[in-house]
Amino acid sequence: MRPSHILLFFLLLLILIDGTLYLHARRLDNDLKSEQALQAITVAGLGLTDLCIATEARYTRHPAVSDAMAPFMDHPGAIEHFPTGSFWNAPANTDKR
Amino acid sequence: MAMIPKSLEKQINILDFSLSSLWRRKLKNLGIMLVFALVIFLLGSFQMLTGALTNSAEAVLGNTPEITIQKMSAGRQEAIPLAYIEKLRSIYGIRAIIPRVWGYYFDESNLANFTVLALESDLMPYGSELNLSLVHGHFPKRTEPGTAVIGRSVQNILGLEERRVFSLFRPDLSLKSFNVIGLFSRQTDLLTNDLIVMNLDDARDLFAMPPSMATDLCVYVANPAEIETIAKKIAGMLPDTRVLTKTQIQKTYQVVFSWRSGFASICLLTALVAFAILAWDKASGLSPEEKREIGILKILGWETGDILAVRFWESTLVSSLAFIIGCTAAYMHVAFFDASLLKPVMVGWSVIHPPFKLLPAVTLGDLLLIFTFSVLPYLAATVIPAWRCSTVPPDSVIR
Repeated sequence: MRPSHILLFFLLLLILIDGTLYLHARRLDNDLKSEQALQAITVAGLGLTDLCIATEARYTRHPAVSDAMAPFMDHPGAIEHFPTGSFWNAPANTDKR
Repeated sequence: MAMIPKSLEKQINILDFSLSSLWRRKLKNLGIMLVFALVIFLLGSFQMLTGALTNSAEAVLGNTPEITIQKMSAGRQEAIPLAYIEKLRSIYGIRAIIPRVWGYYFDESNLANFTVLALESDLMPYGSELNLSLVHGHFPKRTEPGTAVIGRSVQNILGLEERRVFSLFRPDLSLKSFNVIGLFSRQTDLLTNDLIVMNLDDARDLFAMPPSMATDLCVYVANPAEIETIAKKIAGMLPDTRVLTKTQIQKTYQVVFSWRSGFASICLLTALVAFAILAWDKASGLSPEEKREIGILKILGWETGDILAVRFWESTLVSSLAFIIGCTAAYMHVAFFDASLLKPVMVGWSVIHPPFKLLPAVTLGDLLLIFTFSVLPYLAATVIPAWRCSTVPPDSVIR
C-alpha cells in the first residue's frame, strides 16, 4: 500500500469523526433550544442579569450589575486575589459608574 | 493510474516521498505534531468554551430588566430608598417599577457563596409562568413568610435531600429558618444553581435591611424604543444612582470573555512564544543531514521546485493534521468533558460548580484565527530554509 493511501484512510477517519461531531452539535443545539425557552422565562420572571458560572466573587457572579473590577475592592491590600478575576474581562461599559 | 493526469501523478509521487521522509524521522515529526496539536487544542478549547458561554448569555439574557437602578455611595453600590420610586412617577412612559432585594450569603461551614433574591415575581414579565422553572412547588407569596425556593447546588451543599427546613444566619448571628417550598429544575442550572428565592420581608429580615429600602429597582417601560431616553431622564433626576440599561447588561457578556482577559492573554502569548521558538529553530537552518539529502536529490536530477514541493507537503501535512486533531480534541473537551481543564480556572475557588451543558462555539473566524497562528508560520518557517538550501550548488553541500 502506498503511503498516500494510508494518509487518505487516516483523513477519511478524521472526516468521519468530525462528521459525527457535527451531527452531535446539531442534536445538542436542538436540546439546548428547548432549555433556553425555559431559561428565558426564568430570566424575565426573576429579573436575572447574569449567568451562574463562578460564585466566588461578586464581579464574576454578577459582572453586569456589580461594581467594575477595582484594586483594593474586597479589603485593603487585595489587589486581585480571586482566580476568576484573571479569566474574566472587566465590562466595557464606559458610561457605567 | 493511466487516467490520472501527469502533473497530479507527479504530486502524488512527491506526496509519497514526503510521507516516507516524515516516517523516517517519525519520533521528531510526531513530537512536533503533538506539541502543535496541544497548543491548538488549548487555544481552540478556550475559544469554543468562551464562545459557547457568550452565545448562551445572548440566547438567555434577552429578557433582563429593561432598566436597573442602583444607588451609589462613595463609589460602591448600596441600598436604594423606596422613596425613589415616588420621584420617578413623574416620568411618562414608565410601565412598572419593581424593587428587588438581593445579595450574597456566605455559608461559612461549606465555604459556599449563595445568591439570595427576593421580589414580587407576580409583577414581573412572565411572572405567572415562572413556576415552570421548578421541578416541584411554587414561588413564595407575600403571605408565606419563612419559605424559599432553592437552586440544585444549594440543596446539595446544605445536604437537604428529603429535609425541607434549613437555617441561615442574620448579621447579628441569630438564626432564621426557611421552609423549602420549591426546587429549581436542572434545565435552569446555568442561571439558578446558587439561588435562594424568598419573599421581600424575609430577605430584609435576613440582611437586616430597613423596610423602606431595596437593593435595586427594576424599571419596565411601555415602549422599548424609549429605554435609552427614559434611562437618561432617570439618571438626570437621581444623580446619585447608576442606571443600567438592558443593552449595557447584554453587552457585558459580549466582552467579558475575550482575548484581553488575563488568562486568555497568557494562553495566547504562550502559544505565540512556542511558535516563535519553533519557527526560529527551523528558520535558522537545516541540519547537515537534511542539507546532504537535498544535495543528493539535486544530483539525481530533482529540480528546486520539486524539493520545495517535498518540503511544502511535509510541513503542510504536519501542521494541518495537528490543526485538525487539535480542533477535534478541543470540541470533545468542551462538549463531552465539561471543559474540565479550563473549568477550574474559570470557576476559581467557587464551591458551587454548575454543570456546563454547552454547545462548543465553532466559527469560521475562530478557526481561521487559529489556522493563521499555527499552520501559516510553520509553513513559512520550513519552506524558506529549504528554498535557501536548494538554490546552492549540490556539490558544496554533500562534500
